[in-house]
Amino acid sequence: MNFELSEEQKMIQQSVERFVQENYDLSNRIKISSEDPGFSKEYWSSMAELGWLGLAFSEEDGGFGGNQIDTLVLMEQFGKGLVLEPFLANIVLGGGSIKRGGSQEIKDSIIPKLIDGSLQITLAYAEEQSRFDIEDVSTSAREEGDVFIINGKKSMVLNAESADKIIVVARTNGSQVDEEGISLFLIDADAEGIERENFPTVDGLRASEISFKDVQVTSECLIGEKDKGFSILQAVVNDAILALAAEAVGAMEVLYKDTVEYTQQREQFDHPLSDFQVLQHRMVDMFMEYEQCKSLLFRATMETVQDPSLSQRTIHALKHLIGKSGIFVGESAVQLHGGMGVTEELRIGHFFKRLLVIDSQFGNADFHLDKFTSL
Amino acid sequence: MDINLSSEDLAFRDEVRSFFEENKIKSGEDYFSWRLGWFEKAREKGGWDVPKWPEKFGGPGWTPTQHYIWEQETAKANIPFDLPFGLGMLAPILMNYGNEEQQNRFLPDIRDRKVNWCQGYSEPGAGSDLANLKTKAVLSDDGTYYTVNGSKIWTTLAHVADWIFCLTRTDDSGIKQQGITFLLFPMKQEGIEVKPIITLGGSHTVNTVHFTDVKVPVENRIGEEGKGWTYAKGLLEHERTGLAGLSKSLVELEQLKDNARSIQRGNGNLMDNSSYKSKVGELEIDLLATEFTELRSLASAAAGGEPGPESSILKLKGTEIKQRIQKLTVEASGIYSSAWGDKGVGPSFAKGGTAGYLNSRYFTIYGGASEVQKDIVAKKVLGLTKSSSK
Repeated sequence: MNFELSEEQKMIQQSVERFVQENYDLSNRIKISSEDPGFSKEYWSSMAELGWLGLAFSEEDGGFGGNQIDTLVLMEQFGKGLVLEPFLANIVLGGGSIKRGGSQEIKDSIIPKLIDGSLQITLAYAEEQSRFDIEDVSTSAREEGDVFIINGKKSMVLNAESADKIIVVARTNGSQVDEEGISLFLIDADAEGIERENFPTVDGLRASEISFKDVQVTSECLIGEKDKGFSILQAVVNDAILALAAEAVGAMEVLYKDTVEYTQQREQFDHPLSDFQVLQHRMVDMFMEYEQCKSLLFRATMETVQDPSLSQRTIHALKHLIGKSGIFVGESAVQLHGGMGVTEELRIGHFFKRLLVIDSQFGNADFHLDKFTSL
Repeated sequence: MDINLSSEDLAFRDEVRSFFEENKIKSGEDYFSWRLGWFEKAREKGGWDVPKWPEKFGGPGWTPTQHYIWEQETAKANIPFDLPFGLGMLAPILMNYGNEEQQNRFLPDIRDRKVNWCQGYSEPGAGSDLANLKTKAVLSDDGTYYTVNGSKIWTTLAHVADWIFCLTRTDDSGIKQQGITFLLFPMKQEGIEVKPIITLGGSHTVNTVHFTDVKVPVENRIGEEGKGWTYAKGLLEHERTGLAGLSKSLVELEQLKDNARSIQRGNGNLMDNSSYKSKVGELEIDLLATEFTELRSLASAAAGGEPGPESSILKLKGTEIKQRIQKLTVEASGIYSSAWGDKGVGPSFAKGGTAGYLNSRYFTIYGGASEVQKDIVAKKVLGLTKSSSK
């Protein structure tokens, strides 16, 4: 057992930390978020140049042969600055699907462009009725000769506004909630029959509702085997949970530290707020939740790297704890900052919003508790 | 003890219901003229336009049970909005501490909903520790007016208010609760600058207000110079009771259940989900208990006068309940809880749900943060004091 990062990972950690410190003060983040496309293309190029986008791809695919631990290192630091650049959508969701199930041709045409940052991609999996159940897919892909015809609607698709390509999860067989019969297709985002309705999300990012009307794709666009897409989707979602959990841990660290600092400066009743024991204990609780989340994040990530077939239960546990603790830490930070905490003016509110969104993605705390206890 | 409503109470409830029914807004009717007309008719009922005012000032003189019935019915009915600042916050102070001239000058316009008031209490350095306020009021040499300088923060609806009731410091030689003076002055005048504060929910209701050499005639001072803290303190307890909002929470809880039932899960709906159902159940249990804590508090207030420290319990419990309702709305919205803005995706209740939740975090901060409320209960109710060893 060893919790030490490698020398390369430590260097990356420091370099991301520096990048976030230099580029992600609150006013700059708000500015980037409010202007199209909602993230900085310049930062995205820098991330590509620094090699961060290629970390999690194998060397055969042109990457650096890293794994979920490398993504953890990146995402934890991204979480400290609420980085807007679409790493999750492009690398974890899009790239994660392709590296697992893409044909050699697809890999060759897409992965290098993901690594150099020249192509934007996303994964459209959720639907209105599906809530958090990823196997609940009603969007259909009807096979006609060598062509599939896709009809349906996808919800809350991250990064779709900027995406050049969309990986759509569709049903090729079985009934609406069967794991069997789900297939993944890589489609041009501007293909005929696709309509995107874009909107901002609570955390300053962007998402879209996408409708597919008689969208035609060939069988060459399949990611993985027909009807067998669920296992790819599940593995990608697990990676996304690990990545978001790492980001959340970074965000929680900022929240508890900012709160400790603020209460030492703010005086009420002729004392710094930090003199009051009731507030001290609340901050101790925030700190403990952060540490516990970090522990479970390490556990789930290390287990997944070891053997992904054995980590499912721990991943459910992690997403439950991240959701519950993230919101506790966020609410506590706001409460201890008083009125200022409820404004847009301090960064803590923005971190809180991000944690709230993280809980709503890939299953909230309740959902994963149910999954955990039923496994 | 008897939980049944008496036949008089039942008759009163029916009367209230039919009044609300008869005076509903008609389609096409102008909202604001309907609103004023509604209060006019409520007044003709014998003070129903000012239910909480004492009879001496035109209130209806209801029993606690009648107040309870009124609260319950108003939460369910479609009645015009009302703002608490003049009606519920300033009016009791005017009645208790204002002179007759001030009462005649300000109360009628408050009652007629003609003048909008805002409350100038909190300051950047005076939040939970409200007495720490620094906004200065200096009396002129001839003793006819004060000159006010300083800043207020979290001033709700200051941007639409006509007047402000304001705590100012006229003397800082003694302990900080002394030397505070209660002044009233118009908002639309030179030297007053209002700046919006945007809350996490993305909305503008609170502001910062800056005063630069604002002149206030002495006849706008309530009571004696330096005694403002005493006047404001009694009012804070009124305010805290009002912040519990339990009747409204009961209505919102039912709405929450309906919303959750509209989310299909498998062969059932979200209310069949054990985790979710438990949280709604626990919430409802707390609400049932808190509702009766409020009734007991009202009854003891009716018997003995002012609401006491139990108003702190109500504020603690009531605001926490409101926050939990908001949180459960967010959870019911599922993946759509992260959508922001006017677009409206997913179930209709999801729109604005997260903004509501974010803004609701304010409930346990304003009107005395929960931590301060607990200090009050510890000190005033349990008699716990800090030992003086420091």
